Amino acid sequence: MNVHKLWDYKEHVNVNGVMLTSELISLLQTSLTLIQVENHFITMQYWGQIYAIDADYHIAVGINKDALNDRKYFYTTDFNFWGLLPKAKKKYKLLSLLATQPFRGDPSENIKVLDEALDENDPDRCKTMKEEARLAATISNICEEAEVCARGQLIKQPEGTVVINPNFYGLTATEAKMLKSYLHIRPAQHKWNTNLLTRPDYNYSMDFLDSIDQDIPKGCWNLILENVGSVAYLKSLYWPGMMYFHKIRTPDAGFLYVGHGRKNLDVPFLL
Amino acid sequence: MSQSFLLEPDIIAATENVMPDLNNDLVLAKNFLKQQSAATGDNLYDHLVDLVHKILTHKPPDVVDNFEQYSWEVKQEKLRPNFDLLNDVYLSPPQLAIARKMDEMFKLVASKSQKMQEQGEEEQELDLEEESDKPRITDLIDHNYYFRQAGYGLPDSECYALYIALNMLAIKEPVATVRFFGKIFGTKANYYVAETDLTIEELDRRIREFDMKDMPGEGEGLDEERVQEQGEEHKDILGEGEEEAQAQKPKEPVPPKLPPIPLSTWQPKPTIPVERPGQGVNKKVYWVCNLPGDPWTCLPDATPEQIRVARLSLRAMTGDLDAEVQTFPLFEGTERHYLRAQIARIAAATSISPQGFYTFGSGEEEEDIDLEEAGDMNFNQNPFYQGHTIKDLVDPELAYWVHHGRHILKQGRTIWWNPRPEMQASCLLAVLFNCASRASVKIANREEGEEEEDENPPSIEAETGPSLFAPLSADVSTSGPTWTTRVGSVLGGRALAVIRSNLWPGAVAYATDGKRSECMYVGWGLKNEPPNFSPLQLPRPQEEYSVGPEVMEMADPTFADEEVYRIAHLPPAPPAEIPGEGGEEFSEEEEDED
Repeated sequence: MNVHKLWDYKEHVNVNGVMLTSELISLLQTSLTLIQVENHFITMQYWGQIYAIDADYHIAVGINKDALNDRKYFYTTDFNFWGLLPKAKKKYKLLSLLATQPFRGDPSENIKVLDEALDENDPDRCKTMKEEARLAATISNICEEAEVCARGQLIKQPEGTVVINPNFYGLTATEAKMLKSYLHIRPAQHKWNTNLLTRPDYNYSMDFLDSIDQDIPKGCWNLILENVGSVAYLKSLYWPGMMYFHKIRTPDAGFLYVGHGRKNLDVPFLL
Repeated sequence: MSQSFLLEPDIIAATENVMPDLNNDLVLAKNFLKQQSAATGDNLYDHLVDLVHKILTHKPPDVVDNFEQYSWEVKQEKLRPNFDLLNDVYLSPPQLAIARKMDEMFKLVASKSQKMQEQGEEEQELDLEEESDKPRITDLIDHNYYFRQAGYGLPDSECYALYIALNMLAIKEPVATVRFFGKIFGTKANYYVAETDLTIEELDRRIREFDMKDMPGEGEGLDEERVQEQGEEHKDILGEGEEEAQAQKPKEPVPPKLPPIPLSTWQPKPTIPVERPGQGVNKKVYWVCNLPGDPWTCLPDATPEQIRVARLSLRAMTGDLDAEVQTFPLFEGTERHYLRAQIARIAAATSISPQGFYTFGSGEEEEDIDLEEAGDMNFNQNPFYQGHTIKDLVDPELAYWVHHGRHILKQGRTIWWNPRPEMQASCLLAVLFNCASRASVKIANREEGEEEEDENPPSIEAETGPSLFAPLSADVSTSGPTWTTRVGSVLGGRALAVIRSNLWPGAVAYATDGKRSECMYVGWGLKNEPPNFSPLQLPRPQEEYSVGPEVMEMADPTFADEEVYRIAHLPPAPPAEIPGEGGEEFSEEEEDED
């Protein structure tokens, strides 16, 4: 969610009963504006919270020229110091899915992860990872699997950079009811024309991302229109705590994650 | 508009003039631009005019960067069909259906409150006794304000509509207290859940209904048992008879002796009686609706079996109360029963309050039955509660927070039910389960005569759980702490203690340092069970045959073996038995010799 629009968006936060308090918004706006200026970000977004035992992590994203690849993540527990999150390593991404214990709230703490798939004598069975690395990996996982945007919110420009569309007017009511109108914010994993071929009104500058209706299993995304059909809410069953809202026919939309940072592996049972 | 350019006489004149000059070039270019596309009938000239027009009227910033998109939008607008005939048809906004419901609800509540006011004025003149009839509704808006200070709660729009909906519930249904329990997400629609106490009359009626339903059920169970026993006896007699018959006529060629037909030794577990309305897990009655304004639906009482199955399974709500529930231990009932079982579990686990906020039955008079039930004491808000300091409330030791939801035992009841009442037919139990267990005690007495010789069944340890008002510090979990506390404010000032459950994500409670506290659940109705859910394993199949020499695999006798056997058996009577030989074969041989 754009930091400078948090006051407008706070009514639309709808994830496990979480509301953004006025204090939180004030703190975020002041501290993140400073970060934005220091780093010359074009857009600054509040990404969400990861619950931890001692102190919760708050995550923010700074977006530079390229909205897809040029993102920097920051975390804090006290709003005074925002640390730059390291790039997530593939090794840690796997390990963070295996870790069951909750986050501690101390980024320098080492945690041990047991990989039960390996043999008992395997030296790789028990690995340690720093909580900061785990945080980065978890966030990277969530972004890859659950961060979405409405179709048209991001556009690819002729020179190849992806920007946030300044002329995004929002989806129509019929479009908003279809999962096909929501796209993953990640480098496309399907073939480049998969999305183009499935819609009659394709647009090269919009349909360069994967749409979420191809995610497995069907029903892992929960799309509900609320407020008498004026706001579309999108939730992922894989990442409980993730929320995307879009006010129909307006450019207002935002992503938020507030949760434990654990992937829900029980989705097939839920459906 | 562009048509007017075409018909200008100057231009027509200019086209006839073929001499190269500026005017002619302009006309040629214009003509080119006005060439109609064969596919759409459009021409570029009109398009450019429209585009420039749109840009000049809308005055967007940085047009040059998004020129392509503007062009595209202008084309899209042109494609919009113009249904002249349908223009006069008024399409009502989609909000209409909901607005109608809300309107109805508002009118109902408004008229009721007006009536109450008038009545109130009259009563003030007469007497004030009727006050107690009014259902007590928790002030959701007030609590929501505090929840929002703590970072949780409902959006304002939802909260107000819901508050009115709770009022409607209080008006329409026979309830004594109304409290907002929470919101449960579903894949298609969400549930709003209200927690109520019934009025005394309605509760009495339900208890009577429950007793009526329950008694015949007990009788049937008895009959079934009788039939089973009779059947077993019958089989025993038959079995003996067969043996006698075989002994009597050994000479006739008898077909090889078949092993007996396997009998199922599986016996259904005794059904655990349901707690009666107003008791245990069914103490509160829950009402749900999908949207504030919809009529509230009463959820049926939870049975121990449903709670047991709900614990073993995992399923997201759909939002349809009649949806089928497919789980492995078969769930009896539809989603409304499942939802009720989940609510019972959530309520038992996450109803928390600061220590001393509630106290055992002080104040209002209670029913006689409730006073007798030691394990099911009523509690009320403590009028002498003074509040704790925020520092105490956010202490990670959690000693200042207590459960006020009764722990649900493994049985699926809050009060332990003894499946073998004959073991300790104490009067306490008989009092506790005045209807259900009295019947079962009777059964036990009747059966005692028949089963005198039966060996004493092992006595069953009574299941116990944490008592009411046990501190949260006693909660156990396999991974990490079960509760997390936070102060509502980092900067200080408006301090508020907030506590959230890690086992049931979405369950939160707040307490101020004053006299306010409330808990709420907004979530998927799923328990957080790391690492992940694994469905119940299928039970092992029963052994079809009892393992004996008849069904055991062994080596066939070789020719040498048979020879040895034959020689050994030649003149005298055969010896009793040879180890390692199949019994079946042995008997066959015997018969052959006969």
